[in-house]
Amino acid sequence: MTLIDIILIDDSAFDLFIYEKLLIKSGIAKSVRTFNSAREALKYLIDEGHLLPHTVILLDLQMPDMNGFEFIEEFSRVSEILKNKIKIFMLSSTIDNGDIEKARESPDIIDLLSKPLEIDLLKRKLQI
Amino acid sequence: MSDKPIRILYIDDEEHNLHSFKATFRKQWDITTTVSVVEAEELIEKKDFNIILADQRMPIMTGVQFFEKIRDQYPTIIRILITGHTDVGAAIDAINKGEVFRFIDKPWDYTYVENAIQHAFDIYKTREDLKQRNIELQKANEELDKFVYSASHDLRAPLMSVLGIVNLALLEDDLQSQNEYLELIRKSVKKLDTFIINIIDYYKNSRGIPEVTSIDFEELITEVRATIQYLPEYGNLKITTDINQEGIFRSDIMKLRIVFNNLINNAVKFQDITKTDPFIHIKITASPSGATILVEDNGMGIREMDQDKIFKMFYRAGATNSGSGIGLYIVHEAVSKLEGAIKITSTYGEGSIFEITIPSINK
Repeated sequence: MTLIDIILIDDSAFDLFIYEKLLIKSGIAKSVRTFNSAREALKYLIDEGHLLPHTVILLDLQMPDMNGFEFIEEFSRVSEILKNKIKIFMLSSTIDNGDIEKARESPDIIDLLSKPLEIDLLKRKLQI
Repeated sequence: MSDKPIRILYIDDEEHNLHSFKATFRKQWDITTTVSVVEAEELIEKKDFNIILADQRMPIMTGVQFFEKIRDQYPTIIRILITGHTDVGAAIDAINKGEVFRFIDKPWDYTYVENAIQHAFDIYKTREDLKQRNIELQKANEELDKFVYSASHDLRAPLMSVLGIVNLALLEDDLQSQNEYLELIRKSVKKLDTFIINIIDYYKNSRGIPEVTSIDFEELITEVRATIQYLPEYGNLKITTDINQEGIFRSDIMKLRIVFNNLINNAVKFQDITKTDPFIHIKITASPSGATILVEDNGMGIREMDQDKIFKMFYRAGATNSGSGIGLYIVHEAVSKLEGAIKITSTYGEGSIFEITIPSINK
């Protein structure tokens, strides 16, 4: 099985802890990097993205300062080379139809996964 | 009768009619007159009239034609047509095309005119009130939408965290880790509970009937302090008070409790753990005219860019996990309802001072 490099972006220290553990325990992650702010994650991608291997980002939606959709808007402006290396899934507890629709329509979001994260579902989506 | 006199425009090519109307009613109403429909249009543009009276038989255009012309642009003004003789054709036109509210027969019956105008104004006012009420409702609805959206997130997120931990715990055999997970679940449930309590506070604050009593600040602060000293984040925080109360200060105790609860809770939650002597200082000066409340801390402080936003609903400053973004909004709402004001002075990294001034409710 291919192991994947994962970036988690969530303002909840709680959820970062849970999902980091879950991803490692499930054996699908090669590495997990966590960010509690979307802005910091974006800065990291812009500054050091060229060093990144192919990466899956699990992005929370409701966050203070910069929320998930605002992150996506900024991300859409990064280079194609970087974009091709990154797959973004939104990971949220939202049940709002507007959010769901918006996530579905975004070309930069592969899918909206609901919290709590189901590893088997993620595996299927990534076809691993 | 309302405070402002009814604003009336009267158009008639026979000047003596204008004079007699004005002479009779100028004391009770705000009356503008003109003999020309052209000038009438200019007047409507400049002044906000409640009612327009127009004579049917005029040169250039009839009263009905005039009403038909201005109807779409000024739909709120109530139209009254004055006719010398009852002409069925004109009456039908007046109703269908001019959408007039009422006819007045010449010669005047003053009581009838007075009643007609008063009645017209009542309708004008009812419509305006309805419009105002609609705007308010729309605003309330938007707020409710936002509330439901954010509340659903803030209610669901901790639950989903718990579910996530349960899933994780099921993968774990080690008993020690199991206990760690239980501890996490406890925290998450606690957070959810705090949010629910906040929501209930908000509800009581915005919908509840105010209960105005004489306030004993010493007692109130002691009571609030008792509830927070068991908070896990309390640490070695020192709370000092300086209460100066002279005479009777009356206010809604429920709202004041919400204010103190949230401000003190925040000061506890957002302590700066790197400081050796974390403190909260509460200074209150109260008299029969009003109270000034200062809540000062040497906590984390609030960044300048966040300071004007912290009182907004669901705004959370900083990427910390502790706030739901509703506490200060409730404080702000409560202070506004008490017709007071709240101000913040804060330096990031040094601490914050919340200053609240509230008038005493004396009736």
